Amino acid sequence: MARIKFSGVGKRYPNGFVALADLNLDIADREFLVLLGPSGCGKSTTLNMIAGLEEISEGELRFDDEVVNEVPPHKRDVAMVFQSYALYPHKSVYENIAFGLRMRKHEAGEIDRRVRDAAKRLEIVPLLERRPNELSGGQRQRVALGRAMVRQPQVFLMDEPLSNLDAALRISMRAEIKQLHQAMQTTFVYVTHDQAEALTLADRIVVMRDGVVQQIGTPDQIYEQPGNVFVAAFLGNPPINFIEGRVEATPAGAMFVRGDLRLALPDYLATKALAQGQREVMLGLRAEDVLDEPGRDANTLRGSVSSVLPVGSDQFLGLQTAGGQVFVRVDKDRKHREGENVALTLNIDRLHLFDKQSGLSLRS
Amino acid sequence: MSAKSLAAARPRFPVSRYDQRSAMLFLLPMMAVLAIVAVFPVVYSFWVSLFDLKLTRPNRVPFVWFDNYARIFHDPQFWESVTRTASFTVMSVTAIMVIATLMALLLNEEFRGRRFLSAMLLVPWAIPYVANGLMWKWIYDSGYGALNGLLYQLDFIDKYMVWLGDPDKTLALVANAFVWKEVPLAAILLLVTMKSIPADLYSAAKVDGANVWQRLVHITLPSLRPGFALVIIYETMMAVRHFDMFFILTEGGPADATHVLAWEVYVETFRKLSFGTGSALAYVMALVTFLLAFSIIRTMGKKL
Amino acid sequence: MRLSKLMRPVLLAIASVVFLGYVLAPIGWLLSSSFQSEAEITSKPPHWIPHDPTLQNFSAIFQADKKVTYETRRQGDTATGGYIPSTAKNLLPAMRNSLIVAVIVVLLNLIVSVPAAYAMAKIRFVGRSSSIYLMLVTRVIPDIALVVPFFLFIRKLGLLDNLASLVITYLAITVPFSIFILLSYFESLPDELDKAARVDGCSRLQTLLRVFLPLATPSLVAVVLFTFLTSWNEFLLALMFTQTLASQTMPIVVASFTSDFTISFSFINAAGVLAIIPPVILAIMFERYIVSGLTAGAVKG
Repeated sequence: MARIKFSGVGKRYPNGFVALADLNLDIADREFLVLLGPSGCGKSTTLNMIAGLEEISEGELRFDDEVVNEVPPHKRDVAMVFQSYALYPHKSVYENIAFGLRMRKHEAGEIDRRVRDAAKRLEIVPLLERRPNELSGGQRQRVALGRAMVRQPQVFLMDEPLSNLDAALRISMRAEIKQLHQAMQTTFVYVTHDQAEALTLADRIVVMRDGVVQQIGTPDQIYEQPGNVFVAAFLGNPPINFIEGRVEATPAGAMFVRGDLRLALPDYLATKALAQGQREVMLGLRAEDVLDEPGRDANTLRGSVSSVLPVGSDQFLGLQTAGGQVFVRVDKDRKHREGENVALTLNIDRLHLFDKQSGLSLRS
Repeated sequence: MSAKSLAAARPRFPVSRYDQRSAMLFLLPMMAVLAIVAVFPVVYSFWVSLFDLKLTRPNRVPFVWFDNYARIFHDPQFWESVTRTASFTVMSVTAIMVIATLMALLLNEEFRGRRFLSAMLLVPWAIPYVANGLMWKWIYDSGYGALNGLLYQLDFIDKYMVWLGDPDKTLALVANAFVWKEVPLAAILLLVTMKSIPADLYSAAKVDGANVWQRLVHITLPSLRPGFALVIIYETMMAVRHFDMFFILTEGGPADATHVLAWEVYVETFRKLSFGTGSALAYVMALVTFLLAFSIIRTMGKKL
Repeated sequence: MRLSKLMRPVLLAIASVVFLGYVLAPIGWLLSSSFQSEAEITSKPPHWIPHDPTLQNFSAIFQADKKVTYETRRQGDTATGGYIPSTAKNLLPAMRNSLIVAVIVVLLNLIVSVPAAYAMAKIRFVGRSSSIYLMLVTRVIPDIALVVPFFLFIRKLGLLDNLASLVITYLAITVPFSIFILLSYFESLPDELDKAARVDGCSRLQTLLRVFLPLATPSLVAVVLFTFLTSWNEFLLALMFTQTLASQTMPIVVASFTSDFTISFSFINAAGVLAIIPPVILAIMFERYIVSGLTAGAVKG
């Protein structure tokens, strides 16, 4: 059983820099949890704390209700895959994988069995006698995975393990990691700055920024109901479009107003927004939430095409609108030209509204 | 805030107890050794230097405060030793820098036989100073030495000269022997620095049209500054405290021509058996070395 | 362009020859002289290559038992001395002392320096920068300054004329430099390797022994080499602490030959040759480790 619980955990360096502030997080057993955020947000610090490699300045970390702050890494039952793989250069692949088991004094037959099983699963059996410096990046990554796998640990930690791989390999490895999680039935804690990776792999995502947790939720929740401007902007490719404007009460209902652009707002949003009269807001519009045909007046976005960007399976348009430049996705076979005036239907229910000052979503 | 969260919020010791314990354990032997070499001599020799301790009359050891130091600073022979040490050091370090730089430049090139060359170049460094001393003593020998023989054969001189007996020449001769032995290590230290100069700098320079000489002057030499600093500091310290070859080659002579600071300490301590003054002298020397290293680091550091 | 392409090997060859000559000529002369008899060695101009090489100088050293009597003592040109001393037989035992001391010092050095260097390189502990600073500062102290305090202290311990006194003092003067070499090498090894080992189940000690030590071979060799040579070559402190053959090391015995003007120079040269053989062999054998051991090596994988 491996429930991990952070209670008020923080990390402060002697020079005053705060890497992590007041983290409260419950990681359930067998969950695939992804720590997502830009560099320096504290995600690796958090991961290292679980491993015991990073000292906790304040708060408590518990494994199954037992406080483990002072437990050194070699006494914890965690395995870790590093961004640079950190394979032992002087050992063969076999020995690299077997090392953790040897250190924990498993008997020889058991070690051999586990190593060969893992090698078979990762398709690296022919590499067992080689040295790390004879392997390609992708192969080394598998060895690193193997080294962690054979330990059959309670917690599986991964620190941006796919960052150094090329794009195609990254996609296929994601699938493998997901399968691995299913097979091993262990808690996975995964660190990445790649939002697509997070959305693919996670049961739950923790979005972090500058040492502070922004939001915790399932991929759906995070994507569909971002709690603030940062989360909305961080997830989604291309990034969400933001239009500044105001919410005004009109006889026709609450409307989002920016220059010539007027959009009707769904009822519940309107109520929230109007609770304090006219509000300065940021409207969030995802590129895929538009239809390439004119709709009713109150849900139409008009603009002139400033750029046409085909990307193989999709087509994106850069539009110059009353609210500024936005990027939208339209059907591939719709032909558009630069300078053309278009009118697109917006799905009002899928609009996001954020308070301009705090950045917080007005949904909750 | 509840009491519990207040307690949790109190910042902990920045390092895990396990790590701190391990580190202390790993450092324990070293600390013991350093206590012997650093703390003990410094403190004890200072203490001894405050006494008029002569092993010739071990039973009367008056406490004389800083008399020993005063005596040293008023002794003209002390200052002469300092001058001699200084000139020996300057001569040696300059020669070492020049020769070692050339050697390092050569070793930095790739060519067949380089390994052999570099192995051979290590030989002077490996041999003991006393062996070096005796070797050069034989070379400098006035009756049958190789130096005389060579110069005579090449018709530079018409009769054998006295080398080590000539007060004007001896300091330079000892310096020559010292330089010969020190150059390999200096060359290696410079070579190590050279190897860390990124190859991209040279590629960019080549593209910019720089020839070999220009690349040398504008890239190699400036990048070597930290290496130069290191070698200068190290060799200065070695030269200032050098003793062994003065013992073998000249014993401080002739006529005190090579009576350097290190020799003065030896004479005072082991021939005159005056441990009080010897200790004070050694202490002064240690301080001088320390200050020298410090000031070189400072001046070089500003330039770096 | 073509000219400089031709020039390069020529220039390199010339430079190599010049430096080789600079370095090896004096040694060559030492070697040559050691094989010459007293008569030959005193010829003017000198015989660069012995016309009549002899092993008598060396045999005098190796014949420890032969008693030197008035008859067996070789006579030669009194101008140079030409006398092979009875103390010739002291050289080998003295060399043995040097060897014992050097080996023990090397071993103890490794035991002391390796853990300390690892801790300072990889463990972030309270007092880390002060330890490093302290260690660097102690390197500045010249041997001279150790003379008086050590002498008095060792005398009080009754360890004068005992190899143990040499071991202790040599340890003290070699440890800072050893740590320095090891420290910079360890620092160049990736931190993630350390983390991986600890997560894999290694205590700090196991991490050091099973992961870092095997990777640090070049610097370990450099440390062994430096420490051995420093021990073997050390003169001043040995001069202070040793009085009889029980503890005298090679440099002391060799020095005693050179200060006696009646001793034959061909013999002294032979003694010199023997004295330099062990260190030179070591240096040549481990030459390639010296540069790589001093450079912070990059470890990939």
